[in-house]
Amino acid sequence: MKISYNWLKKYIDLSLTPDQMEQLLTGCGLEVEAYEEVESVKGGLRGLVIGEVLEKEKHPDADRLSITKVNVGKSHLLQIVCGAANVAKGQKVLVALEGARLYPSFGEPFDIKNSKIRGQISEGMICSEDEVGLGASHDGIMVLDAHAVPGTHAAEYFKVEEDVIFEIGLTPNRVDAASHMGVARDLAAVINTRAAFEKDFFHKPVQVIQPTISELKITNRKNPVTVTIENAGDCPRYSGMSIHGVKIQESPTWLKNALLSVGVKPVNNVVDVTNYVMFETGQPLHAFDAHKVRGKIVVKKLQKQTPFVTLDGTERKLTGEELMICNEHEPMCIAGVFGGIHSGVSNDTTDIFLESAYFNPALVRKASKQHMLKTESSFRFERGTDPANTVFALKRAVTLILEIAGGSVASDMIDVYPNPIEPAKTEISYDAVRKLSGLNITNAMTDEILKYCGMTLLNKSDDKVLISVPTYKTDVTRQADVVEEILRTYGYHHIPVNEKFGMAISNHKADIKPALQKKISHYLTAQGFFEIINNSLSSLALAQKYNPEITPVKILNPLSNELDILRTDLLFSMLGTMQYNNNRKQQNLKLFEFGKTYFHSEGKNNETNKLAIAVTGNLHESDWHKQDRESNLFYLKSIVLDTLIQIAPVPSDFLKWVMAEHAVFSSYASLQNRQSNIGYMGMLKKNFLRQFDISHPVFYAELDMDLLIKRAAQYKHRIKPAPRFPEVKRDLSMLLDAQVQYADMKELALKQEKKLLRDVSIFDVYQGDKIEAGKKSYALSFILRDDEATLTDKQIDIIMQKIETAFEKNLGAVIRK
Amino acid sequence: MSLDTVQNLIREVEDFKIDTSSDLENFRLKFLSKKGLIGEVFSLMKTIAPQDRKQFGQQVNLLKQNAEEKFESFKLQFEEKTEQQQLIDITLPGEPLESGAMHPLSIIRNRIIEIFGAIGFTVSDGPEIEDDWHNFSALNFTEDHPARDMQDTFFVQKNPDLALRTHTSSVQVRIMENNKPPIRTISPGRVYRNEAISARAHCFFHQVEGLYIDKDVSFADLKQTLLYFAKEMFGTDTKIRLRPSYFPFTEPSAEMDISCTFCKGEGCNICKYTGWVEILGCGMVDPAVLENCKIDHQEYSGFAFGMGIERITMLVYDINDLRIFSENDVRFLKQFKGIG
Repeated sequence: MKISYNWLKKYIDLSLTPDQMEQLLTGCGLEVEAYEEVESVKGGLRGLVIGEVLEKEKHPDADRLSITKVNVGKSHLLQIVCGAANVAKGQKVLVALEGARLYPSFGEPFDIKNSKIRGQISEGMICSEDEVGLGASHDGIMVLDAHAVPGTHAAEYFKVEEDVIFEIGLTPNRVDAASHMGVARDLAAVINTRAAFEKDFFHKPVQVIQPTISELKITNRKNPVTVTIENAGDCPRYSGMSIHGVKIQESPTWLKNALLSVGVKPVNNVVDVTNYVMFETGQPLHAFDAHKVRGKIVVKKLQKQTPFVTLDGTERKLTGEELMICNEHEPMCIAGVFGGIHSGVSNDTTDIFLESAYFNPALVRKASKQHMLKTESSFRFERGTDPANTVFALKRAVTLILEIAGGSVASDMIDVYPNPIEPAKTEISYDAVRKLSGLNITNAMTDEILKYCGMTLLNKSDDKVLISVPTYKTDVTRQADVVEEILRTYGYHHIPVNEKFGMAISNHKADIKPALQKKISHYLTAQGFFEIINNSLSSLALAQKYNPEITPVKILNPLSNELDILRTDLLFSMLGTMQYNNNRKQQNLKLFEFGKTYFHSEGKNNETNKLAIAVTGNLHESDWHKQDRESNLFYLKSIVLDTLIQIAPVPSDFLKWVMAEHAVFSSYASLQNRQSNIGYMGMLKKNFLRQFDISHPVFYAELDMDLLIKRAAQYKHRIKPAPRFPEVKRDLSMLLDAQVQYADMKELALKQEKKLLRDVSIFDVYQGDKIEAGKKSYALSFILRDDEATLTDKQIDIIMQKIETAFEKNLGAVIRK
Repeated sequence: MSLDTVQNLIREVEDFKIDTSSDLENFRLKFLSKKGLIGEVFSLMKTIAPQDRKQFGQQVNLLKQNAEEKFESFKLQFEEKTEQQQLIDITLPGEPLESGAMHPLSIIRNRIIEIFGAIGFTVSDGPEIEDDWHNFSALNFTEDHPARDMQDTFFVQKNPDLALRTHTSSVQVRIMENNKPPIRTISPGRVYRNEAISARAHCFFHQVEGLYIDKDVSFADLKQTLLYFAKEMFGTDTKIRLRPSYFPFTEPSAEMDISCTFCKGEGCNICKYTGWVEILGCGMVDPAVLENCKIDHQEYSGFAFGMGIERITMLVYDINDLRIFSENDVRFLKQFKGIG
């Protein structure tokens, strides 16, 4: 919303720099987003004066140029070379002097310098209107009024005004300040409060001056209007008045300039007055052609689908929910939002009916949203205008119209207001003000600030005061609202900062996820991994192609079909990141991401916290000292297991890798813990990676963080003393069928000896042409230990024999002796 | 064996010429090895008459001592020479060790958690797919309130509405519904707005919500907490400014600016030549919100605040384009090694 400093000064005697204005406005909740010092003509016509052409001769070396001698009120005449055909002796013209900067109507600004044109000295320039931003015409130089005095500054002659325009970001609760009077009222409250309570405040106390209203004589009753409101709740107040015999024409300069300064295009004198009064008082007004009203206004809702052509020429189908201003037969205006094309003021209009109403804010908002029509009027109505202000604004508009467009009042003052809206009354506890604000503020001071804020003090006791809130403060109804009024008027800068923290231990139990996440991140980054963060919005097409069994959560109003679901896994974004980096010559990548995945099932939307870990390329950067090592599944597997250990140690029977076939993984295993799937890992198919232009193998794992968090929450760490007796290691080397899995061998061995066999590991794997096809060779180590005594060879031999037999019988192993 | 033999050997040890390491080895073999001359002399000691043994012993020991000293001295000399010849160029680069980095948004989120954790704020979380009640209604955004226009919403279901939360304030409501005061918590999380993606706006970003509910919590407590935060996050000379503002769920409401961390108030692009940079919204929890969450507003009051993690991160690391955060360019991420 734009506020003009000059305009503001009509209602309040201000003397402030733009910076001080900004400080005061922003300080009371009317945030100044920007301000601009402007002139009614860009550049303020600085360096331009009135000149009189005393002589004119043809340029000796150029047919189309003339050499003039111009009097600009100085002791000597200026010689100016002029190219305009219409330049003539005796003319009063506009002269740009050396050093002036011109702001043309079209194109970039330029500077005037003395120069030689075709050999002739030229001291300045005689201007056309488009060259100085005064108009669009380029038909020769501007010829001014014959009475103009040479040497007069152009700014004076053209009455250029200087102003500062403040752009205020109005919050939805502050419709009371959506006008110059509203802003003046707020400024006065702040200035008066601070002048009273701050030593050396930079402004003296001020008063708000009301705009003038003339005594409106009803000279005739040629255009009486009756108003019927079908539902009083929809339109609590409707005021109006007719004027007979207006002359529609262009507005006077002051009015046009005022509107232009707040960014509104002038239309004609009547429409401009209604707009002016809205920006002045905050009350939107609407002018009807009285011949269209034909003596009757009906405020009602119409049938759904009723066609209605608005002022912009668009035919709209009504929803049936919007409030319409109708004459006896047809709709004329969407109440508070937008007028109809046929009922407004046109150049032929002679009689008008002016409307000044208070509509139900929710209805205006709905209509504005449904028809996607946001107008200055709907902006104010939907936030709640001041119901007490309709008649004042109406009288002000009539005063101005009579003054500018002529005519006479042609009806009584109509004011339908069956159930007057009373000012809100609320009781304030002085102590509550102190407690909520933290300000040490006396009762008397509270009273005084309340009065500056426009409140009426009705009833006082030692600890409480009953106040009446003016109807323009639509957002102030409760004690908390009043505290805000006091604080923002007195200034948030007065709120003290204590030296001690007053705090309590929270009853809410902390979420352990961030701490776990941090711990895992520290581990992974120490292993050379980088954390990435990707958008959770993803593409349905992609998800369906590779994950058809999952029902994604769809966005009803997506930004694009690339971002129309919530991601079902972290894989696609991981590959997207790898692709992005590969394209930038970053081939060696170790990445991880914490993120949610989402799916829809049985009418419910599920969100699961996941951790994705992936590697591609070499495990470290190339180096003079170390052989390159390519990333591989078993590197990733160790990273996954170590990550799990960050959460809680993993007992050997806790986890199981279950290999399976997969659509996009060439090797794939899910990681299972009894009933639940903790995650999975694998190597991606080359063909799938090609979709992402990735040529190197990618190894990927995804873990279910929610399950791990649950496990971490339950886990209690226990420790045992170091073993007192030595452990013994025995090795076994054997030939196996290629299908036999190491995990099964380990499980089988541990089953044979549950107490003394502590661990099984593998130290050699061979598969190749030195042995039979379809076979492989594994060499395993077995760690044995007794916590009660040193193991004897006999005990060990018995155990190893059991294991060998089991391997031979169950897995067909051929043990090398 | 005569005494002369020993004394000759002493002289021989002294005169033995050692120029190379093989000379040294020959010296060792000749005199000091198991089968060397000195060993032989020792083994002959038992043949010496007892009355001569003392004098003999002195000379034999002298011989051994001289030989060993000579050997050790040359050995050290040759070792140092070799080391000098095999000098290693320490200016060569070190072995590449594994070292990655956390994402800057995580680094800053963790820092925020840490700062508020130090003054007793627990961490809380809530769902991203949220119902109308928690995201809007309970927070005093009544149906058809203009404030709903302030946030463009992604919907996943209509009637009843389910949306992607537009702010982490929804977690406030869940915490108040499920816990009795005192409540002192912050809720970091991901939020969504239906906005075109640009340097200044994104359809997803991250916020941290803060909430403190107890008896007698005042606006001054809020100001103090936020001043503490600003100084911890941006440095002890940071100043704050509270400006009246509006949020449906707080009353009074404010926006907080910090003194510009770049120009220290002199005026620059970041602060648009105002010397102040906006970093968060805050206020006293609106009594209507407390009532919606079944907390007696006569007995309890509280404050709430919310800030964008991206915003803070951009200020801390002088980043000017939001999109960088989800590009995940490792050349960008590498700059955060060792931080956080």
